[in-house]
Amino acid sequence: MPRIFSLLLLSALSAFTVQCFGQDKLPVGIVTSLTGPMAPPGKFQMNGFNLAAEEINGAGGIALGGRKYSIELKVYDTRANPAEGASALQRLATVDKVAVVLGELHSGVAAAEAPVAQDYSLPLILTVPTGPNLTEQGNRFLFRVNASNDQLNLALADFIGKQGWTPLSFIAWNNDAGRGGVNGMKKLLGEAKSGYVGYFNVGDVDFSSHISNIRASNARAVMLFMDEEPGSLAIKQIRDAGLKAQLIGTLAMGSDRFLKRLDAARLEGMVQYNAFPPNANTPRIRAFSERYKKKFGEEAHGFAAQSYDGLMMAAAAMQKAGTASDGKKLRDALASMEHEGVIGRIKFDDKGQAHPPVYVTQWCANGSRRILYPENLKADCGAG
Amino acid sequence: MAQALLEQVINGLMTGSIYVLVALGMVLIYGVMHVLNFAHGVLFMVGGYLCHFFFTRLTGSYPLALVLSMAALALIGVAIERSVFRPLQGNLRNQVIASLGLILVIENLVIALWGPNALQLRTAATERLVAIGELRFPMQHVMIIALTAIVVAAMFGFLKWSKFGTALRATSQDRSAAMVVGIPVERVDMASFALGTALAALGGALVGPLFLVFPQMGDAPMVKGLAGILLGGMGSVPGAVIGGLIIGVAESVSTLFLPTDYRDSIAFAIMVAILLVRPRGLFGLRVRGEA
Repeated sequence: MPRIFSLLLLSALSAFTVQCFGQDKLPVGIVTSLTGPMAPPGKFQMNGFNLAAEEINGAGGIALGGRKYSIELKVYDTRANPAEGASALQRLATVDKVAVVLGELHSGVAAAEAPVAQDYSLPLILTVPTGPNLTEQGNRFLFRVNASNDQLNLALADFIGKQGWTPLSFIAWNNDAGRGGVNGMKKLLGEAKSGYVGYFNVGDVDFSSHISNIRASNARAVMLFMDEEPGSLAIKQIRDAGLKAQLIGTLAMGSDRFLKRLDAARLEGMVQYNAFPPNANTPRIRAFSERYKKKFGEEAHGFAAQSYDGLMMAAAAMQKAGTASDGKKLRDALASMEHEGVIGRIKFDDKGQAHPPVYVTQWCANGSRRILYPENLKADCGAG
Repeated sequence: MAQALLEQVINGLMTGSIYVLVALGMVLIYGVMHVLNFAHGVLFMVGGYLCHFFFTRLTGSYPLALVLSMAALALIGVAIERSVFRPLQGNLRNQVIASLGLILVIENLVIALWGPNALQLRTAATERLVAIGELRFPMQHVMIIALTAIVVAAMFGFLKWSKFGTALRATSQDRSAAMVVGIPVERVDMASFALGTALAALGGALVGPLFLVFPQMGDAPMVKGLAGILLGGMGSVPGAVIGGLIIGVAESVSTLFLPTDYRDSIAFAIMVAILLVRPRGLFGLRVRGEA
C-alpha cells in the first residue's frame, strides 16, 4: 500500500513538473558530420539548426491540438559515411520515432539515407548536399532546400555567357563532382566556348602543368571545380605564375574563411557562385546575419542559413498538418507549402527541389565582396 | 610552345629535385643495409610537419627551421634504425613488412598530433617571385632546384673524399670485408640512416611552403623516388639523381602533349621502357648477393 501511494505521489509530482516547468518534447532528427572530413561544414549546419530550434522554442514552441511542444534535436553523426547515414535514419525512424529528419552534407551519404526515409514514410529535408541526382529518384519523401549543382551551374553559365568570358578553361577534381561539373558547364555553354580541361586527383598539390596549358590555350577565364584547400593552392599558383585569366570559383571560395587562406591581392576580381551572401542588404539576410553573429561570433554561413530555413519549414509544416507523428501528412504539408526563408522563397517542385536564388559574387581589392548576379540584387563591395 | 616547354622543364626540374632528395636517401640506406625503407615517404612528411612546427612555434626563421627539422629527423632515423631495422637485420622480408608498418604508425601519429587537415607554411621566400623571361616562379621553386644541386654535389664530395664516405662505400660494396679492415659497420648503418632521413626531411621542409603540409604529402614523392632509383639502377647514387630528374621532367613535359591525368602513368611507362632495354637501370651494376 505505501508503495502504491508513493507511486501515485510520484506521478502527480511529475505531471505537476511538466505543467509548470516545461513543455512536452517533440523530437526532430538531424543527420550531420560532427567528426571526420566534413566536420568543419557540419559545424555551420548545426549552428543553423541550433539557432532555429532556439528561436522556435523561445517563441513558445509548436502548438498541436491545444498543447505546446518544444523541439528537441536528435543529432546523429554520419561522418561522411553512407553506411552510418542509412543506419542513423533507421534508428531515427524506429527508436527515436521522429516525424521528420533534416540535414546531411554529403551527397553520397544522402543517397544512402533517402531510400530508408522512403521505406519508413519519413520526410527527409536536405539542407546542404548538391548532387543533382538526389532529387531525380522519384522519392516523394525527399526534399531539398538548397540549390543543386545543376541550378548553381545554370546561374553561373548565364552569367559567364553575358560577360563573354569564353573560351573558358577548367581545372577540376578527377571525380564525380569535378567531371560532372565540367560536363554540365560544357553542355550549358556549348562545346565551342570551352577550352583546356585539366583534371587532378585528390591529394595533388602542383597545378603548374595546368597553368602552362591554360596559358597556351589563350583562355579568357578559368573555372576551378574544387573545394577550399586545392582552390587556394591553385589560385596562388595561377597568380604567382602571372596568368591573367579571369578566375571563376565555387561555393567554397566566397567566404572570409577562404580569404584567410590567401590574400585580397590574389583574389581580387575573382567571381564565384554563392547560395547566400551574408552581408547582402536584404532585410531578411541582414537580420539573420546579425542574430547569427551575436550567437556564434562569426560571419553567417550559407549552410547555416539553409539549415535554419529547413528547420523553420519543418516546424511550419507540423503546425499546418496538425501532427508531429504522421510522416505522410507532414510530407503533403511540405510539398504544398510556401515559405519565406532567409535564403529566399522556398517552394518545392514536384521532385522535392526548392529554387532559391543563386548569386554570383566578386572579390574586391579590400577583401570584401560585391554581388554581380542576379541583376535585381546587384550590390557593391561589402554586400557579398 | 617554346615558352610552355621552358616552363614545364623548370617545373619538372623542381619536382625532379624533390624526387632526387627522396631517392638519394633511400639509395644510401639500401646501399649500406640492403633494405628498401618504404616508410621514407612518411619521414619526408614528418620533415614538413616538423619544419612547420619549428618555423611557426619556435624560431620564426625558415632556414633555421629547415636545419632543425633535418637534425630532428636524423635522430628519428637513428632511433628507427636501432629499434626496428637492426633487430631484424638479415631478414629482408620482415624488414619490408616492418617499414610498411611504420607508415601506418607514423602517419596516424602525425594525424593524432596535428589533425587530418592540411597546414599552410607561409615563408617570405615563397611569397617573393622570380622572373625568368616572361615566366614567373616563386622564389621557393628556384631555391629547391639550387639547394638540391648543392646537396647532391656535397654528397658526391662526401662519399668520394671523406674518410667516413669511403667507409660507407666500402660497407655497401662488401660488408664482411669492411668489417675485416676495421670499419665499424653498425655505426655506418646508423649514419646512413641518419643521413637518408635528414635528406627526406629536407625534401618535406622544402616542398611544404610551396604547397601544403598534409599527412599524404610524402606518398607521391616516395613512389616517384623509388621509380627514379629503379630507373637509375638499384644502389647507384648517380643513378638516383639522374633517375629522379628524368622522371620529374618527363612527367611535367608530358602534360603539354597528353591529358594531365596521364601524368603519373608517364613516370612508370618510362621506367618500364628503360628497364626493358637495361634491366639493371641506367647506372646499375651487378651487386653482391644478386644473381
